[in-house]
Amino acid sequence: MRLRGERGAGEVRSLVRELTLPVLRTLPWRALAAGGGLGLGLAGLLRLYGDSLAGWSALTLLRTAALAHALGLAFLLDDPARHTTAAVPTRRPLRTLLRVALVTPVTVLWWTAVVLLIPSDLRPPVGPVTLEAGAACALALAAGALAIRLTDEPRPGPSVAAALLFTAVVGPLSLPARWALLVFPQDKRWEASHERWGMVLAATVVVWVACLGEPVRRRRLFRRRTGSYVPSGH
Amino acid sequence: MSAVLEEAPVTERTAHSGGATSATLDLALFEARRLLTRIPMLLAFAAYVAWIVWRTPKFEDGFPALQNADRATQSGPLLVGLAVMLCANHAVLRSQRHDTERHFGVLVLTPGRRTAAHVLSVVPAVLLVAVGVAGQFGWEALRPGAVGTGSVAELLVGPLLVLLFGAVGVLLARLIPSGFAVPMAIVLFFFLFFAGAVPTGTGERGTRWLAPVVGEMSSGAIPSDLMDRPAAWHALYLLGLGLTVGLLAVVAGGGRGWALKGAVAAALALAVTGGVAQTSGLPAKTVVARAAATNNPEKQQTCVNRDGSTYCSFPEWQPRTATWASVVRHVQSLAGGRAHTQPVLVRQRIYATDGLYSDGAIDPSANPYQVTVGTGWGGNRVPEFSAAVSSVLVAGSEKATGGMCDGRMVTAMWLALSWQPDPMRSLRDVRLDDSVTGSAIVLSPTDPLQMTAGQTDVVRELLAKPQQSVAAKVKAHWAELTAPKVTSARVAELLGVAAPKEADKCD
Repeated sequence: MRLRGERGAGEVRSLVRELTLPVLRTLPWRALAAGGGLGLGLAGLLRLYGDSLAGWSALTLLRTAALAHALGLAFLLDDPARHTTAAVPTRRPLRTLLRVALVTPVTVLWWTAVVLLIPSDLRPPVGPVTLEAGAACALALAAGALAIRLTDEPRPGPSVAAALLFTAVVGPLSLPARWALLVFPQDKRWEASHERWGMVLAATVVVWVACLGEPVRRRRLFRRRTGSYVPSGH
Repeated sequence: MSAVLEEAPVTERTAHSGGATSATLDLALFEARRLLTRIPMLLAFAAYVAWIVWRTPKFEDGFPALQNADRATQSGPLLVGLAVMLCANHAVLRSQRHDTERHFGVLVLTPGRRTAAHVLSVVPAVLLVAVGVAGQFGWEALRPGAVGTGSVAELLVGPLLVLLFGAVGVLLARLIPSGFAVPMAIVLFFFLFFAGAVPTGTGERGTRWLAPVVGEMSSGAIPSDLMDRPAAWHALYLLGLGLTVGLLAVVAGGGRGWALKGAVAAALALAVTGGVAQTSGLPAKTVVARAAATNNPEKQQTCVNRDGSTYCSFPEWQPRTATWASVVRHVQSLAGGRAHTQPVLVRQRIYATDGLYSDGAIDPSANPYQVTVGTGWGGNRVPEFSAAVSSVLVAGSEKATGGMCDGRMVTAMWLALSWQPDPMRSLRDVRLDDSVTGSAIVLSPTDPLQMTAGQTDVVRELLAKPQQSVAAKVKAHWAELTAPKVTSARVAELLGVAAPKEADKCD
């Protein structure tokens, strides 16, 4: 809204038109392809060799796929030119929203493909699993935005991915049973766990929106003492 | 001045050959320090220590069998391993990220040696995990209730995992110089090995041993010589794999030379040897020994005499006979008639036919006054054994306790529970559904017993009364209380509590 307050809607539209192609080129396509490809590959294996992979759980596969794609999305806000672009008139929220808007259709298409690749007799309830996947992707985006907001790092992707991975590994192990998030449809906590997933999604979106803006000044969470640089000739 | 110039080439040559090695080690030390102080590493180690502290005291109810305690050290280091993989990968990519690769080109260290330093920088983390594993296992081994023998090869799995993961992190950085390779590899690893997604085959040996951590289906303990896990081969396999991956990373980083190629071949040979040996079939000798331990354990056991009763167990459980004897002493002190002094034979019996690959039940013994005890102790196992002792003293043999659907059950349960520190809690523990009202199955080392709702009420009332007054009545009416077909109502009347309304009826 602030964007519109400052400049007209038409101006924003023309800006978006001009920016779309360059932003499209700078998106971390390789990371996204790796994340998405992993899920597609696993789902494809299940489709092709479903009989000999009886131990594979379709739900676990979908969750793995969602996590892999979320890890790819953790790299979305990486921008090697961050320190240069911080000063341009186009504000960060617009640039971030543009990136997310460009990657959303890809994500939707990819998720549809993965879900459709799972044989229909093995497919878990699609709605709840999509909610989980959406929450995981939103968590990745929010963590990326938070890293940009709190640190001065131009490419926080690897650290964000590491944090996301740590959460994904340690979180389910350390959550008490009554707050369990990763349950199976047969479990009577299935419904309640998806209410919690909904809350996670909502909280994540709030954090993400709060972190959209460019930090006013550069700051570092963990300042390292660097050696003093002595001018040459001294 | 000229003297210095003349000698300069000589010193330069020696400095060059030795300098590269020492520079590699220096870089390895520097990288190790940076690696250990990275935030993911600190978090992983904190979580690892918390996991040890949280898990170790509860392991096997405080009475660990060390042949199981060694395997329990294997899953915690996984988290550290994943953090090492991530951070080592990040460290290798640092020069690319900061665009300092060109500057390193002029230094004494070749890219291959720098990769070697990154692989070596993992070693301190490996040693720290080894300390963690030793601490965890030492903690278990020093507990007063510990029995059995641990295996060094099982303990090595944790540290070797960290080595392997660190090497994979470095190799991935050299093959795919991008930050997303390792997270994706970790996700794939978790999917394959923890979501039950790897086709593991059906046998106890076989391809499931190719996984880094090989768990077992059964949580019980069996004598260590019957387990026959190819733990040493598995450790060799992991070591070979870790070395192969690490050396391949050096090759991928630009390392050349015959020595390096030879080392890769040797490491690969180690991995293949270990991998093939661990997946080969189970020796026939073990199958025979396991069947013998299940069906005729007498030959493998040693017996001791305590207070007139005999306690036979597998040699590794000999230290526990005194604990069993104290339970028997407590139960007999409350019993009357012949049962007060009746010598019993406590024999350890286990289902070992399938090793640890599956659990099985054992049949109750038909021998008079023989009680079965398992390999576990502590927690629920104590009231369960106590119930087995008391029901055998009341009914005469384990086989006879199966049909004990009458008032004798009340006497047996009171004998079993009244001497416990918290009888009501023990009553809850010993029943399958953790209840203290209604009918329930009572667990025992062999076939379970059954309590009706009326018997449960009588036992609960008896446990609420002073132990000595009930004990006197039990001793006075022993013959009638233990007579077959005595009703629960009659038993309640003899012991001075309200009689249950319904008749004894078992399913």
